[in-house]
Amino acid sequence: MALGFNQKLEQQQEPAFFVRGPSPFARLVFFSALSLALIATDSRLQYLSNIRQHLVAMLHPLQVIANAPSQLYHDVTDYFSTQSRLVNENKQLRQQALEHSVALQQLNTLALENNHLRDLLKTNQALAETSVLGEVMYVGRDLFRKKIIVNRGTQHQIIAGQAVIDATGVIGQITRVFPYSSEVTLITDKSLAIPVQIERNGLRAIAFGRGRDNTLDIPYLPANVDIKTGDKLVTSGIDGIYPTGLAVATVTKITATPDSAYARITCTPTGGIENHRHVLIVSMPIRNEDPSLEAEIDLTTPAASTKKEGNKTNKKTAAKPTIKPTKPNAAE
Amino acid sequence: MPQSNFKTVYISLLMALIFLLVPWSGFALKARPDFLLLVIIFWLIRAPNLCNVGTAWLAGLIADLVTGGIFGQYALAYTVTAFFAVVYQRRLVLFNHTQQLLYVFILLLISQFTLLVLKVMAGAEVWGWSYFLPSLTGILLWRLAVLLGLNTGGRARGT
Repeated sequence: MALGFNQKLEQQQEPAFFVRGPSPFARLVFFSALSLALIATDSRLQYLSNIRQHLVAMLHPLQVIANAPSQLYHDVTDYFSTQSRLVNENKQLRQQALEHSVALQQLNTLALENNHLRDLLKTNQALAETSVLGEVMYVGRDLFRKKIIVNRGTQHQIIAGQAVIDATGVIGQITRVFPYSSEVTLITDKSLAIPVQIERNGLRAIAFGRGRDNTLDIPYLPANVDIKTGDKLVTSGIDGIYPTGLAVATVTKITATPDSAYARITCTPTGGIENHRHVLIVSMPIRNEDPSLEAEIDLTTPAASTKKEGNKTNKKTAAKPTIKPTKPNAAE
Repeated sequence: MPQSNFKTVYISLLMALIFLLVPWSGFALKARPDFLLLVIIFWLIRAPNLCNVGTAWLAGLIADLVTGGIFGQYALAYTVTAFFAVVYQRRLVLFNHTQQLLYVFILLLISQFTLLVLKVMAGAEVWGWSYFLPSLTGILLWRLAVLLGLNTGGRARGT
């Protein structure tokens, strides 16, 4: 049939003196097949991620050129920012620093006390996280996904899986690393899940991104569970990706539907998901715990996986056993 | 008519790529026309001997790289669009500006629709008619280029 169509085209519109190689239809078939093969390879197998890294590194100079105008604009506005604004900002920052230093002093004593208590209990010491400051280069161009690209990559010791936060809360997670940049999937993306706990009562749950609007869902909590609108969600830290106790979201709406055993809980993220230029990339320190414990923690890293269905089963089976080993970590 | 050669084709494609790489955000990102595809369509009409379905495929592959999606999605969308542009190239050249604009609009829609189908198959959500906004801004840009004196006809038309 393909051949028939081909011949018809040739007869109708290809005079002999316009020889252009294969017919458009032949090219269409060839390149479509190639594209479909690529789609299948890239979505199912991991071969192309390495090639992608190199190609993105090659595109980097072009990206720098394209970023130049907006960079220039920012630089110029920075340069011409008025004296009074700077003075004001300085004053504000100084006040903030003072407040923070007071809090920090308390934190130091608390940390010391905590370490002593941990010594007494013979549990592992909590280790400090390392962090890298990054700047948002551009918002992800794929409108179906919630992603941002930051200007730190393998050259700055960034690895996939690190958590990304800003001054107000968790933003997302590094999902792809290129030599000079890396891709951050935001917590509002459909494929990202983040283990949280309610600050008020320590209830653990897993929040999923909605994808469309900037909200999060907690789909697998029973309707009778103790959760209220206005509850603050913080990272639970049991995934080994996000440090414990970072603000994630606030519960805004709870609806119990009669046809399901689970409540529909909608939350808005606390972090400035789409309006900050600077972000902090933090990594959890590698813990030297006994391997059996590690294995269990590994199970509860739904944030790294990309499929909702897989998480559903993971959470149910794996969330429970990890509650016990991590109990000493919680400040209860 | 100035001779169009490989250099002009590839330099214009590079320029389109840089425009694509500009850090668009918010509404501008949603309404941003597909510069690369517009340039491809232009050259498919203007110089089909220099730019063909294969060029469109390659450009689509670069678009895939730039958007960070799965390899092959934009490539397939551009390939299909380029096919329809090439098949009716002889007629397109003879169209007047309005007819041509309409046809370019249809081509842009074909590209977006192909992409939408692929994305939905990959599990993405559809968010309504605003998805097709880039096609609209695309033909506005095309019209602007024509008004500024770009000759979008082939050799057959003088103007």
